Amino acid sequence: MSLLSRLASLRRNLFTRPRVERDLDDELHSYLDQLTEEKRQAGMDAAEARRVARIELGGLEQVKEEVRQVRTGQMLEELLQDLRNGIRTLRKNPAFTVVAVLALAIGIGANTAMFSVAYGILLRPLPYAGADRVAAVYMRYFPRDFAFGTMCIRDYLMWKENNHAFEDPSLFTGRRMDIGGKEGVPEQVQGAAVTAGFFSTLGVRPLIGRTFAAGEDQPATASLAVLSESIWRRRFAASSAVLGQPIMVNGAPSTVIGVMPDAFRLPRRETEVWTNLPLNPPARYGPWFYRAVARLKPGVTLEQAQAEMNNIALRMMQQNPYYKRLALPALGLRDALLGTTLKPAILVLAGAVGMVLLIAVVNVANLMLARATVREREMALRLSLGAGRGRLVQQLLTESVLLAVMGGLAGLALAWGGIQLIRVWNPGNLPLIDSVRLDGGALAFMAFASMLTGVLFGLAPALESTRADLNSTIKEGGRSGSASRARRRTRAALVVSEIAVSLMLLVGAGLLLRSFANLQQVTGGFSTPPRQILTMLISPGNRKYSDPRAGLAFYDEVLRRARNVPGVEMAAVTDSLPPDRQADADTFEIEGQTLAPGELNPIISHLTVGPDLFRTLGVPLLKGRSFTAHDNQDSAPVAIVSEGFVRRFLSNQEALGKRIRYGGTWMEIVGVAGNVKYLGLTVDTDPAYYLPFAQTYGARMFLIVRSPGDAAHLAAPLRRDIQSIDPGVTLAQIGTMEQALTLSISQPRFNTMLLALFAGIALLLAAVGIYGLIAYSVAQRTHEIGVRMALGAARSDVVRMVVRQGASLAAIGIVLGLGGAFALTRLLSTMLFGIGVTDALTFAAAPLGMMLVVLLATFVPALRATRISPVVALRYE
Amino acid sequence: MPTTNLLQGTLDLLILRALSLTAMHGLAISHRIAQITNDTFHVKPGSLFPALHRMEEAGWLSSSWGDSENNRRAKFYRLTAAGRRQLQTETRQWETIALAIASALQAT
Repeated sequence: MSLLSRLASLRRNLFTRPRVERDLDDELHSYLDQLTEEKRQAGMDAAEARRVARIELGGLEQVKEEVRQVRTGQMLEELLQDLRNGIRTLRKNPAFTVVAVLALAIGIGANTAMFSVAYGILLRPLPYAGADRVAAVYMRYFPRDFAFGTMCIRDYLMWKENNHAFEDPSLFTGRRMDIGGKEGVPEQVQGAAVTAGFFSTLGVRPLIGRTFAAGEDQPATASLAVLSESIWRRRFAASSAVLGQPIMVNGAPSTVIGVMPDAFRLPRRETEVWTNLPLNPPARYGPWFYRAVARLKPGVTLEQAQAEMNNIALRMMQQNPYYKRLALPALGLRDALLGTTLKPAILVLAGAVGMVLLIAVVNVANLMLARATVREREMALRLSLGAGRGRLVQQLLTESVLLAVMGGLAGLALAWGGIQLIRVWNPGNLPLIDSVRLDGGALAFMAFASMLTGVLFGLAPALESTRADLNSTIKEGGRSGSASRARRRTRAALVVSEIAVSLMLLVGAGLLLRSFANLQQVTGGFSTPPRQILTMLISPGNRKYSDPRAGLAFYDEVLRRARNVPGVEMAAVTDSLPPDRQADADTFEIEGQTLAPGELNPIISHLTVGPDLFRTLGVPLLKGRSFTAHDNQDSAPVAIVSEGFVRRFLSNQEALGKRIRYGGTWMEIVGVAGNVKYLGLTVDTDPAYYLPFAQTYGARMFLIVRSPGDAAHLAAPLRRDIQSIDPGVTLAQIGTMEQALTLSISQPRFNTMLLALFAGIALLLAAVGIYGLIAYSVAQRTHEIGVRMALGAARSDVVRMVVRQGASLAAIGIVLGLGGAFALTRLLSTMLFGIGVTDALTFAAAPLGMMLVVLLATFVPALRATRISPVVALRYE
Repeated sequence: MPTTNLLQGTLDLLILRALSLTAMHGLAISHRIAQITNDTFHVKPGSLFPALHRMEEAGWLSSSWGDSENNRRAKFYRLTAAGRRQLQTETRQWETIALAIASALQAT
């Protein structure tokens, strides 16, 4: 009943508004007439009666407004009216609207994009069933000491025997695979060998066919292969006839049993083939090639599982005295995929982009305040006509939210573009980039951010401009009064905070830029210009090359042909490359060294290289000689060690003539080479020892050539020549050293680029903010400046006066910003290389840069002030 | 005591009560309220009209134009069935409150 009557009222109020209004007007006039009539009958004359009745009624318009306030649908009605008003106001001030929408679009757009990246990488559920119950398990031990290192099959079997926390742990290792067969030309892809439970542990199903069944990782199982969707489309035209067919993997046939959808990308994003890993009973410890994935049993937490792993680790150490300080860290699947450095970087960037939005909001608030002065009379008039202050605040807020929504929509377009760019380009080589997209979550975030910013930048100006003191405002005719003095203070405070926040971003960006410059200074230990080096990974594919004789003859031919390619100065083979492609690491013995029982030397970089490698790379040979063609299977075993090796293991004594042992063979040290980084530019250089290719043959090697100019164009002729030796040979990872270096620091570059971009935007917005403030203040002081000039002030005095105003605001902002920067830059500590978080140069340069920008922004309105003609200024009155 | 502030909700009760016998226009309602409250409450138009319109939209009152006692056109309000029920409810509530307050004031 009540609801029905409400609905009827709503309909009436909204759709027959003129009649409702007329009715109200009639009713009030009739009331007034009756009251007047009463007064007259009480003895007043007509005019007096009318006057007293009017006073008793109060303002007609005020009463009407009070009645309107209680009407059903009043909110909706007002909202529509406010929206109409808002759109009209914004259209009347296109410059203001464009600037405000642009600032908000940048702020909201960048935040929406960053939110999508952060959400996609840090929060979005992984596309694997129950992925939050899956852990990756690693092994860390001394002497190897890799935080997330690998285990051997023996360790795995021992763990499995004692395991209660996980369902059937599964082992895997990534490896390069040569794929070839009747279906197409041979190619080299990233593959993985996995035990039977790998796919079921991760909770994934194949597109067609099946994955490995229990027991298919036992010794003497047939070789099986699961393909990725991408290679299935590429090589088999997505035909389901592939199931049951043989495919050549590293020269041996495997039967294809299933195809995984492209959404499944483990253990590495580029993995395209999975083969079953036979768990042959190991005769000894090693090789340490494997990591594990395991699903927690129901009710078991990761912490409980870790506690059990710690116990198992203790037992492993008891069984094998070679293991020191052994641990078996278990990481949630997402953490395992992300690694340790990405999360803090993304959080820092998200914080930074939030600051950008804050500055954009402050900027728009500032613009609104400036406009509030212009609208002072409008507000005063409406207040005096009976509009409630709440009503006016509501109208102004509607305007600002409208503005924010427009900014949000424009920002959405910006965010969409930005995300496409990041996904396609993936400048940071980010894992999980495939789950970064603009979705409902991002839309909700954008809508929320728009509303919040609309209220944030609208509320203060709205409260401020409706506080108008009616008398003074109307009397002053809109000239600055006490209200606008308060407003000027608010605006100055806003600009100061803008400068402070931008300075913090500037310092952060400065630190990352300096750190990145340091990274680029790191040479990796070789002096040949990176763009003059081209490398490729050669895999002969055919099993006949497992025999060193056939293999060495093949590589001799490869090198002979490579040296004949025009533009190739030098060529060599190696199994590892700087800055981060280490093939192997192992321990060793030194002749005459006494080690405690069970103790071993650390596991360090172990390289197999051919003659000319050091010359090709430009690694200095500090002592002795390099390998030559004479260091072959028939000559005495030799080795070369790095400078770091001599310092750490030979106490800087004479190295030449000493002997080291690896794999049962004693080798004489014939040379000492400079240190080279094989574990990444930011990692301390690992000591290394080098063995000659002809004495420790391996079938898969990098070819490295050096050219006098840019080496990139050598790729095509080299490929042609090598494949003409044997068409079964596959080539991969073809690229210049410059590209490899770039890729190895892609993540820091991504961080640096984004933070610099954010700081740049912030600086621009802050500059616009202070420009606006000073320009406005100059306009307000036209009269005063005119008087000063009439009284003989020189132009330089005027400039100085205006610039001083800007500079003093900047000084306050800079002091505050420096304080904030000192407090916040420690969050960057894990992202910095070669500098501290309080790097003096950055902390000096950023404020100077900020001051310079502020002075520039102030100088323009200052110059304009000097062009004020005293005559015009005074006539202005 | 013409300045006594009306308690929130009291105005509604007074208007319902004033209209309980017959339909009335705005000015008559405010006179009637003054009369039945022994001149304690003088309802000003700024409070009266919003309340009348609100109560009409709630379905307690209905209105129609008619001629006043001195033959002027005026808008008359009358109680609806829902308005009568509301009057009973509010009366009961008010009595409860009044009793409670009285006992609170007498307590030592």
